[in-house]
Amino acid sequence: MVTKRQLGVVVIALGLLAVFGIIVVDFIGAGRWGGFGPLQRIGVGLGAAAIGVGFILVLLGDRPA
Amino acid sequence: MLLLRTLRPLVIILTVLAVLAYLGYLVVYVIYAVDLFRWPFDYDQGEGFELYDAILYSQGEWPYRDNATYPFYASNYPPLFHLFIVPLLPIFGPHPIAGRLVSFTATLVTGGVISVVVRRKVGGWFIPLISGLAFLASNYVYQIGPLCRLHMTMVMFETLAIAFIAEFEHPQHGRRNLILGLLMLLCAGYTKQMAVFTVAAALSYVFLRDVKKAVIAGVSLAAVTGIIFWLLNVATDGQWWVNIIQANVNEFDYRQTVFLFRQWFHLHTIFILLAAGYLVYELFWDRLSAYSLWFFFALGLGALSGKWGAGFGYFTTAVAAACLTSGLALGHLQHATRNTHHASHITHHALRILIPLLYLLQAPRMLHLPTSGPVFGPLTRALGVADALVVGDCATFQYHDAMGYTQLGHLLTPDDYAAGEEILNYIRTADGPPFSEEAMFSLLTGKPVVTNPTQLLNLYNNGLLDTTEIVERINRQEFGVVIFRAQFYPPPVLEAIGQNYRPVEHLCMNGFYYHILWPRRMFAGEE
Repeated sequence: MVTKRQLGVVVIALGLLAVFGIIVVDFIGAGRWGGFGPLQRIGVGLGAAAIGVGFILVLLGDRPA
Repeated sequence: MLLLRTLRPLVIILTVLAVLAYLGYLVVYVIYAVDLFRWPFDYDQGEGFELYDAILYSQGEWPYRDNATYPFYASNYPPLFHLFIVPLLPIFGPHPIAGRLVSFTATLVTGGVISVVVRRKVGGWFIPLISGLAFLASNYVYQIGPLCRLHMTMVMFETLAIAFIAEFEHPQHGRRNLILGLLMLLCAGYTKQMAVFTVAAALSYVFLRDVKKAVIAGVSLAAVTGIIFWLLNVATDGQWWVNIIQANVNEFDYRQTVFLFRQWFHLHTIFILLAAGYLVYELFWDRLSAYSLWFFFALGLGALSGKWGAGFGYFTTAVAAACLTSGLALGHLQHATRNTHHASHITHHALRILIPLLYLLQAPRMLHLPTSGPVFGPLTRALGVADALVVGDCATFQYHDAMGYTQLGHLLTPDDYAAGEEILNYIRTADGPPFSEEAMFSLLTGKPVVTNPTQLLNLYNNGLLDTTEIVERINRQEFGVVIFRAQFYPPPVLEAIGQNYRPVEHLCMNGFYYHILWPRRMFAGEE
């Protein structure tokens, strides 16, 4: 059984991975837009939201997810 | 007691009105479906190709072929839906009703499963009934449901899969439910590739509850899926991989996704808010259910709707999940307030008014119905939408839809039938095979089906199509007639046709112009 805390850690990790990946995309020159594109903004927003949700879940402790 | 007695008539009136509203949508859906069952031509571009896939299977042939050689045809979908059509072919012949019946039945089963699940979880009859009917009342389900397209059959398998997997911890039937759920996931995936999001939802749910079972279930499902995939690829000399996977990598326009998310939300607002609220409740205050997780993962499928060739159909899984989860949310609220505490008692009675009221507020947001006829004419005038019609390329449909412009949903007219017959005459009298953008014209005249245009275009855009042979045949004017609708062909093909074929007539059928072109050799004396 997975706990809220464990789920929170996974969600934070996925959020960080998403934000990191979206930012790195610019350095490797992928994407159609120069600079920070609209899809990247949406992606970073969702990633940040996931990190926020993950932190709340971590605080909920060992209750079953 | 006095409050209860005063509210009772109001509760009854609201409940009856809500049931009538959603039953009304069911009537509209059945009328539309029956109208389509009679229509022998493609209503939505692609129906004829899906029927042709079934015909190929009935002849013991694969529809996964080399697109570079005559007849330049291949399917880009897995086989299960088309295999369901095969037994109906001896009854209906090469007519799209065979596939339309399968898809329509699938939507009824899906609505039924939603009702049964909600009934088992929350009891009563009103919320389960409306939850199931709401699915059929969705503009998206209404429009796609009775088409000879595979998408709704995938949604049926997805819904069944989630219903079974949600009960994988059942004390007596847990193991059976898990196996049946995995089987339904396999069926969903081999109906349409998009089922992968429901697979993720189902396995995530099992993982949260029982990690070991999730690993075993995931590995088993992957192994069976992989073996079937490999066998299909070997049997088709690698054409399965090219046509199912590589041809489906298309350009993505995030603006289309954003537009469709907004539209989906606007049309299904209350179901979505209730389902999202229930997801948040379970995430932070309770345990996540299979249904909430399904709703969440279905949003991922919606996010893919910006793909070229995708559309609002990508949200039908999310619609099913929202209808089901919103029913659970309302049922949960009802149960939570059903105790002896005074404040809860008042809330409970308030909910008896609020629940039908919410369903009634939601109903007009999805408004779609024909606007002419002895019943719908006065009804649409009373609703104030008689003049808010959908306008096609060459005709104004006697149809209103809250989603605005749509190519689907309207009823056919005698003019449409007449135009279809005229197109068939062009094909019957042609001195070579037809080069038609829609397959039904060829199937109805017993001519070969040549090309699957969007498949050719997808492959061309991915650098996977050699157009040498098709262009050579066009240059030799081997095709007796060309029928265009949307002109979804690779540029070299369109260019060759422009040089070798000449328009002779533009016929308006089903709201679209069908362009008829003859080989230039037939105008040799004039040019």
